Amino acid sequence: MAARRGPARGPTGARFERRRRAAAAMAEEPPEDGAARTLPSLRQLSRGLPFGRSHGRLGISASGRLTLPALCSQENLDAQKTAFVLRKAWTLYSVTPLYGFRRGCLRDYARLLSAFIAAEKQKGLAVEVGVELDIKVALSSLADLRGSELDQAGLLVQLSSRSRASSRNSEDKLLWSGWFCSMFGDDLSENVPENFTCLPLFLTHGAESYTALVGSWFQKTFDCCFRRLAISPLNLSWMVAMWAGYKLERAASAVELVFSMPRLSHPLDISYAIHPEDAKALWDTVQKTPGEITQGEVAIFMDCLYAHFHRHFKIHLSAAKLVKVSTGIASAHCDGIVKILHSQYLPGVLMLLTELAISQIQ
Amino acid sequence: MDETVAEYIRRTVLKMPRDEIKMMLQKWGFLSEAQLQTLNFHQQKDNISQEVVQLCEVNPLNSYFFLDNHIYQNKRMWSVYQMKKSGEEEEYFDIADFKKKFKGRIRSALKNVTITFKEYEDNAIWIRVAWGTPHKKPNQYKPSYVVYHSQTPYVFISASVLKSNLPLLCQALIVASNYRDIREMELRSHSLNSLKDIVFKRYSQNFQTYSPKPVQGWNVEAENADRRIVHENRSVKERIHRLNQESFGCGPQPKLEFAQYRLDTMFKSDPKMDVLDKKEPFRCLVKFSSPHLLESLKSLAPLGMADAPLSPLLTCITHKARNYFKIREKKESFVSP
Repeated sequence: MAARRGPARGPTGARFERRRRAAAAMAEEPPEDGAARTLPSLRQLSRGLPFGRSHGRLGISASGRLTLPALCSQENLDAQKTAFVLRKAWTLYSVTPLYGFRRGCLRDYARLLSAFIAAEKQKGLAVEVGVELDIKVALSSLADLRGSELDQAGLLVQLSSRSRASSRNSEDKLLWSGWFCSMFGDDLSENVPENFTCLPLFLTHGAESYTALVGSWFQKTFDCCFRRLAISPLNLSWMVAMWAGYKLERAASAVELVFSMPRLSHPLDISYAIHPEDAKALWDTVQKTPGEITQGEVAIFMDCLYAHFHRHFKIHLSAAKLVKVSTGIASAHCDGIVKILHSQYLPGVLMLLTELAISQIQ
Repeated sequence: MDETVAEYIRRTVLKMPRDEIKMMLQKWGFLSEAQLQTLNFHQQKDNISQEVVQLCEVNPLNSYFFLDNHIYQNKRMWSVYQMKKSGEEEEYFDIADFKKKFKGRIRSALKNVTITFKEYEDNAIWIRVAWGTPHKKPNQYKPSYVVYHSQTPYVFISASVLKSNLPLLCQALIVASNYRDIREMELRSHSLNSLKDIVFKRYSQNFQTYSPKPVQGWNVEAENADRRIVHENRSVKERIHRLNQESFGCGPQPKLEFAQYRLDTMFKSDPKMDVLDKKEPFRCLVKFSSPHLLESLKSLAPLGMADAPLSPLLTCITHKARNYFKIREKKESFVSP
């Protein structure tokens, strides 16, 4: 019996039954030994993360421990609806809660945003000089993109163009997309008053100028604040350890870590790519409890990789900056850019990113 | 003048940065100084290129194709090939014979090619080949370049994307130069001169001499060392510096941009750590890249980011003349086949 974990309690002391059910839904199957082992609740999950929700400080908490969603249940996610997420490079932002957002008014918001963009273009802040573009705005809800019932459904914003010069039947060209999402982001949503909508993670794909336009409209309309979400080397190492351990049916791409030593007189970049089977084999011997990762295990995994490298090259990789990690599941860059390759692991990846976003907000 | 040639000249001039056009046309050497004087470089690039085409039409058709050579100087990837002679006979190198045999061999396999030669002062023969197909004219925008120093068995090739023509190119080279065989070395770079430095051994080599005392008056400190600290770790720093010199030599390093290692070695860990202990290799691919890789590696130990001496896998790059490696385990040390 996992007595080490107490029942889930929020800051007000109330229990959170719904979250336990969510946690149960998250795990793939009950523990094999049949013992009535309490699945660690989400509360514990978030508290333990080095992504740093503990008391709002970014950093490693003493019990850095994360429970993996492993293979998240597929019923919640329609692969077709979420296909747009895959294989694109998304730039990450954290967003503070939106005030006064009404789910029923999406069409009105689309109209207002469209008018705002047109007005900005009139002002001379044209996004593309010399090109006559009609920008069409579409807002839609992504009911499937949420973790638990406590999460808000995702919100997708798309900017398309129809060139005035082309014929009436020409197709709209998608110029830019951005979506708000909360994947098990309950830690934030339970603490906010009424009238606030929590969608802490914002992902964009497309020109920076459009991101600025959409961002400033949301900021003005819902009194929220956007900030670029950087990913620290520590968090990148968590991601690579976690993703290297996932099983993939087909031959996957290598587990790659990219290090940079920018401050040398001749900057040096090192790409360290490991065969995915070998990386998984190493991680499997490091990870002691299936379904759970600790900070210590991530550190050992990284130390093993550093040691193997040092044995050959006599270079201390730990002295370099980890800037990018890439696996068959997903890749992440320290500037806050991710690419997700597998719909099966989408919830897990989004959950991590939501955590990062929330810790940046708090 | 052939329409495609005129177009080629016009497009190539347009690709040049405006402030470098004059210099590149001079280097090209096709137009005389007098002709260059007549050009107005202060007008639109479109007009400049038109004027250049008009001037070229006056000249006899000859080696104008080397015009694009100077634009892509450092963007092209060069590979090094080594040729092997059949016997010991020293044959007198006849350039006319070489050109004839080279052209003959290529043309016997492929009709639609453009082959141009140019000789430079340092005994280098440059060959430019534009490839076509039986049904298409040669593509002037993706040529292969070959640089051959006739007194050496080395050839530098920048193949371009049409890799299927590489075997034919290699064959033509050995036929023309009277060699028996040609093989590709594991050495690639954007800097042709650095490749030449390495294979012709024109860099300062690391001689294994023992110097009991460091040279007086020379500064051990790294760039960002604190000037107030005079004696700290002086002996350590001197030792690192000396070991670095031994590994890399004293002079400037040839300029390479990357090195790649395919590791097929075992993963060895501290038994206490209770981790992976497989009997199969831990397969990795490591790539180093830098604007100046060797200087970068040389700076690591003094800054504390690496041990001194640096691994021989890295320090052997110049004297083994390779930057692509496959490393297998062999008892206690590493071998690269």
